[in-house]
Amino acid sequence: MTFGAISEKVSAGLPLSFDDGVALFREPDLLKLGALANQVRGQRHGDRTTFNRNLHINPTNLCVAGCKLCSFSRHSPEQPGAYTLSLSQAWDKLKARLDAGDPVTEVHVVGGLNEALPFDYYVELLAGLKRLQPALHIKAFSAVEIFHFHKLFQLAVREVLQRLMAAGLGSLPGGGAEIFASRVRQRICPNKCNAEEWLQVHRTAHQMGLRSNCTMLYGTIETVEERVDHLLRLRALQDETHGFQSFIPLAFHPDNNALAHLPAPSAVDDLRVCAVARLVLHNIPHIKAYWISLGIKTAQTAQWFGADDLDGTVQEEKIYHLAGSETPQALAPAEIVRLIRAAGRTPVERDTLYNVVAQGEELRAGASPAGAQP
Amino acid sequence: MSQRLRLAAVSFLNARPITYGIEQGLVGVERFDLRFAEPSRCAAAVAAGEADLGLMPIAGYAASAEELRVVPGIGIASRGPVRTVVLVGQVPWEEMTAIALDGASRTSQMLARLLTKERGLDPDFVEIPHDQIADAVSGTRGALIIGDLGLHIDGRFPHVYDLGEKWHSLVGLPFVYAVWAGRPGVVTTEDVALLQESLRLGLQRRAEIGRAWALDNRVDPAVGENYLLENIRHRLTSDEISGATAFLARSHQAGLLAKPMRVRLFDAPAPLQPQPRSAPSLDHLLTDAAAGQRLSLDEAVRLYSEAPLLDLGQAADLRRQSLHPQGVVTYIIDRNINYTNACTTCCSFCNFHRTPGHAQAYTLSREELAQKLRETVELGGVQVLLQGGINPDLSLAYYEDLFRFMKANFPLAIHGLSPEEIRYLSEREGLSVRIVLERLVAAGLDSVPGGAAEILDDEIRRRISPKKCSADTWIDVMREAHGLGLRTTATMVFGFGESPCQLLGHMERLRRLQDQTAGFTAFICWSFQAEGTRLPLSDDTGSLRYLRVLALARLYLDNFPNLQVSWVTMGPAVGQIALRFGGNDFGSAMIEENVVATAGTVFKISANDIERCIRGAGFLPRRRNMRYELLS
Repeated sequence: MTFGAISEKVSAGLPLSFDDGVALFREPDLLKLGALANQVRGQRHGDRTTFNRNLHINPTNLCVAGCKLCSFSRHSPEQPGAYTLSLSQAWDKLKARLDAGDPVTEVHVVGGLNEALPFDYYVELLAGLKRLQPALHIKAFSAVEIFHFHKLFQLAVREVLQRLMAAGLGSLPGGGAEIFASRVRQRICPNKCNAEEWLQVHRTAHQMGLRSNCTMLYGTIETVEERVDHLLRLRALQDETHGFQSFIPLAFHPDNNALAHLPAPSAVDDLRVCAVARLVLHNIPHIKAYWISLGIKTAQTAQWFGADDLDGTVQEEKIYHLAGSETPQALAPAEIVRLIRAAGRTPVERDTLYNVVAQGEELRAGASPAGAQP
Repeated sequence: MSQRLRLAAVSFLNARPITYGIEQGLVGVERFDLRFAEPSRCAAAVAAGEADLGLMPIAGYAASAEELRVVPGIGIASRGPVRTVVLVGQVPWEEMTAIALDGASRTSQMLARLLTKERGLDPDFVEIPHDQIADAVSGTRGALIIGDLGLHIDGRFPHVYDLGEKWHSLVGLPFVYAVWAGRPGVVTTEDVALLQESLRLGLQRRAEIGRAWALDNRVDPAVGENYLLENIRHRLTSDEISGATAFLARSHQAGLLAKPMRVRLFDAPAPLQPQPRSAPSLDHLLTDAAAGQRLSLDEAVRLYSEAPLLDLGQAADLRRQSLHPQGVVTYIIDRNINYTNACTTCCSFCNFHRTPGHAQAYTLSREELAQKLRETVELGGVQVLLQGGINPDLSLAYYEDLFRFMKANFPLAIHGLSPEEIRYLSEREGLSVRIVLERLVAAGLDSVPGGAAEILDDEIRRRISPKKCSADTWIDVMREAHGLGLRTTATMVFGFGESPCQLLGHMERLRRLQDQTAGFTAFICWSFQAEGTRLPLSDDTGSLRYLRVLALARLYLDNFPNLQVSWVTMGPAVGQIALRFGGNDFGSAMIEENVVATAGTVFKISANDIERCIRGAGFLPRRRNMRYELLS
């Protein structure tokens, strides 16, 4: 299939095939690819780029999965750097932000697969956060963690989700998908739930009325075909449930993990994945350029390569920073607004479910003058 | 001006477009007296005072006992196969025990000797008269065939090597065979304009000239036509001058040329402005610019302000592709040595300088320098970029000693002293810029970096660096350097609140000078790095503005062959993306850099990382030197 033919399919709103996806990944003209993704982005979202005010809490890094791609986890409490937050330590992270007057709208909670913590810990963790700020949206526990709870606590996935929802769970983050192909999973994360299990958790969540996100970790050992296969499996579930809100491409970072011999994906690859995802995932509304993964400059540029969201202010990101990310730990809302405006886009603050929180003049109050850097 | 200018030119087909306007009586009828001669006779006629200007082989120019100057903009060159400089034989090059050389052209002889030597071969060379050369081939004796004879040899020899092609694949630059040259002062800028006009008329009639020649020589008209249209190039652009400079330097190194030589130029007339068009659409402008058509200042301001980022990028990418069709992205291994930070200029955007006498002011000692140079050589470096503050303690003699010391001890090119440092030396010593440059060149200076340009607009300069040279002075120092045959780069730092007109005005000044001298090899831009400086940031210095400026530079600076991306300031990620917005060079795997590092910007990557970045963007990485000569 030629680029021109793919381009016509895209303009006609037709779904792209496996071969189309492979051809797009192999298209040498990056800007041609970008322009097509940008066209789709423009049709869906106009000039808007969204972001939110959020906080990351990683309650524990003790993890039995032992994934080679990870720099965050520790396998035993004796290992240097191993930690588990007490409930009050976890709550205090939110409390500190609220006390500082930060109108944070979302808490993102993900952590290791810890075998020592009881299920009540997680339930109470969410309930306590909700008590601090009832309006808060809690996006918590990747499908891998939900599946771990299901196995460890001998509860049906539906039951796990129901109990967490009762405690305040609002949606699921998209992590842990990595690459669905079992060839890759067996080598980089053999102890994680498999593709079907991951998809089943999201299917169940969607059926129960929860929205979720989805991701793809690229840049380890996967082939172009395995990337396309991954995207198509997400697209197939989305056709079934329409529960995914956004797709987040996650660039592999090689520092301090068992895959450190691999080079990190380059910026051109980052933009390419973003653009191909926008084109292949026609049924997923948003493509998120997660600045912590891509770096601020590449994430900013990605707004011309299909991305319409820059994630959030994020505070205290651990997972990527332990893998060598050189981005700051947090971005002030004014800084995100500036990054969006400098790219010629219109910034809109959203909540987790993509409702508008602030736009236009309401944002200007929070932004620094004339695009100045802090 | 009453005296007629005596011109001696070769009568080979490849010279006809150059002399066409004069021969046809269309240009300079009153001014020029044109005679034809064999190539080596053209140089001899100038030497003997029988001609004022000779269209002479580059080797004749280089071997002249007296200093000659070259007419800018005109030459006989090729960027690949030339067809009229061919080595032929019954056996392959490697098996030739002797090579017969055509006595008519010293340049082709030198090229043949140089390329033979670069292949590690050592046959005997024997000189034979032009008309007997083709018969000299027998057994293991090959022959170098030059001139129109080369167009007649199809199928006569089992082994044929086109030396134009061999040179191009070796260094990636054109080969220049002949130039107009004469003693300094013999031509005026009006004469240069007439000679350029004669060529312009000839280029319009290339096909016709080629066919007419073919008919006279009873060969297929397509042979003559294709030769002039496809093999020979007659414009001496930046790449041609770099190619000629590389050839002269390599020949000197190989012992084929007694003294080091550069392409020194006569002054050129002011360039013409492009014809304004009646408000074309943005798409139209981008399509034209991508095809290499010249943009006016107003058109470029419009593109800068209105064109969507990716449209601009795609046009720049197309233009880059047509200038560099092999898909090569180059980089250099060098070291940035900031020999002193003592500086009296006190620019508000600079966090590197210290006033002389300050506790942190330094000037590197010989030992410290030697250590850095040794490391540079060990790490595969080919050059040092030597820049520092305006330090009143350092005299011209200091630099001459330093350069001699460096040249005597290290095999490194010296890319050194920005126009501001050169201007200061001229003021300090009470000597002209030309004398200062000549003395520095004699001591070992190889090329001049394009720093201290910031924005070439005096309103901005007064605000951010009031003590630095004016925009005119910067341009004048570069003009002087180009005239002496020095290759230089040009830079631009934006983000000082300049208007689109001021930004494009900077590029306009560079483009005009480049039209006259073709002395710039590359353009490099980046945004102001503010951290720790006294100048508050009030402008957009982000990645997307950088990509926009870079893409526009690729389209506007239509006479600059190379655009470096600035990963040192923008980071490797943006540097890599910039290769798709017009950039074709990844700059330097810098072993050391101090100036932007003190303003908070520290990115370090190795040559391996650079190559991975280049490959990841879909290009083939190659190392180069300052002349953009590919290194193996």
